[in-house]
Amino acid sequence: MTFRVLDPTPGTAAPLGQLAPRLDTLQGKTVGFISNGKEGTKGFFKHLDQILREEYGVAKVVSRTKSNYSAPADAHIVAEIKGWDAVVSGLGD
Amino acid sequence: MQLASRTYDADSISAVQELYHSNGWTDGLPIVPPTREAVEACLEWVMMPPDQLIGIEPVRGLAITAEKLAINAVMAGCLPMHFPVVVTAWMAMMQEEFLMHGATASTGGCAVLIVLNGPIRLELGAGGTFNALGNSDRATAVIGRAVRLCLINLMDVRPGAIDRSTLGHPGKFSYCVAEDEEDTTWLPLAEQRGVPKGASSVTVMAAGAPRQLMNEWTTKPEEILETFAAEMRANLRHYSIHPGNYALIIPKQLREHLQAAGWTKSDIAGFVHERARIHRREWAEVGKGAVVRDRGDSVYPAMESADQLLVVAAGGPAGGFGAVIPPWLGNKSHAVTLPLGVCVDCEPPKK
Repeated sequence: MTFRVLDPTPGTAAPLGQLAPRLDTLQGKTVGFISNGKEGTKGFFKHLDQILREEYGVAKVVSRTKSNYSAPADAHIVAEIKGWDAVVSGLGD
Repeated sequence: MQLASRTYDADSISAVQELYHSNGWTDGLPIVPPTREAVEACLEWVMMPPDQLIGIEPVRGLAITAEKLAINAVMAGCLPMHFPVVVTAWMAMMQEEFLMHGATASTGGCAVLIVLNGPIRLELGAGGTFNALGNSDRATAVIGRAVRLCLINLMDVRPGAIDRSTLGHPGKFSYCVAEDEEDTTWLPLAEQRGVPKGASSVTVMAAGAPRQLMNEWTTKPEEILETFAAEMRANLRHYSIHPGNYALIIPKQLREHLQAAGWTKSDIAGFVHERARIHRREWAEVGKGAVVRDRGDSVYPAMESADQLLVVAAGGPAGGFGAVIPPWLGNKSHAVTLPLGVCVDCEPPKK
């Protein structure tokens, strides 16, 4: 007996954002951090801040923390992204 | 009826199973082959065209259609008569306050608890008595499973993909309970939450595993409920200090003592709200002293207000047991109750 059965998935990939063009250099750039606010992010971002400034010549690091670590970034944080050259986000526990 | 989904041909029932398992489309258990006929029967039951938009998942903007819900419902073992509950559960889960993405992706590993109220329970044979939180009956088993398979297949909530649960719990296979409305004097949960009397409804809650308790040695409401409150305090100490929706499952034996004393669900909620709270310093007693800091005297209630407690009459007739079902992460997600309705060409509901 042949069964003709249906695909239970959307069939197309979920819409994804596109990566921004890669930077040639971090020298003199502004980098934003979007933290989910969990304890483990504090040390990580502090260390990353230091590396970016001291080893890669980043001019400015802007740190922002989401108000709810399980939800998307707050609108006012997303609005700020336009003023940054790069963003570090999506980090969890 | 024009279905949009891609089809596959499989030579045997075993081949169907391997097709679905190998594509990661199951929860690990065998599925019912979702044939065109079975899926169309579900859609006809709810009088929805296949492309009926049930809602847009708020975070990633995924469109959830009736056809895809029906395919997954059939796979879970649903009959057409079960499908309206699955549709309504999904409508409820897509309300913003439920925070579906966070709740289903979190390392916290919660499941979607579904509580059924109203006449639909009796029509489906959904049992709210023996083994109420376990494998009590066909309807609650397949409805809960359908919700999970939809998460897996429509939102990629697969372990290691979107689902980042550290542990999860067995309710992630199926977590559905019908309230035992016929054997209680209490208002049904849905009516307590504003649904008109007599309407069938679905309540969804982002929920941890049930924490079972027992107190067979008193008939006093205050003492019975102190045991429930103590279990909630344990959750505040051992798991999360965040306040939010908790559910209490109260079976007949304990329920009768409370009812005999004239306690309503509101009375219960008021008492428990006062008792289920801890000082932050208590965290030091359970190995979490590092986060007490200088706030040891701060008081943390399990709920922000008494109406956050979901009291459900369910369970077998004998045994002084009860259960506390804790929230995934307090108020990050709010329980949502929606009545069932046949919806043709209507917009997804707004609360």
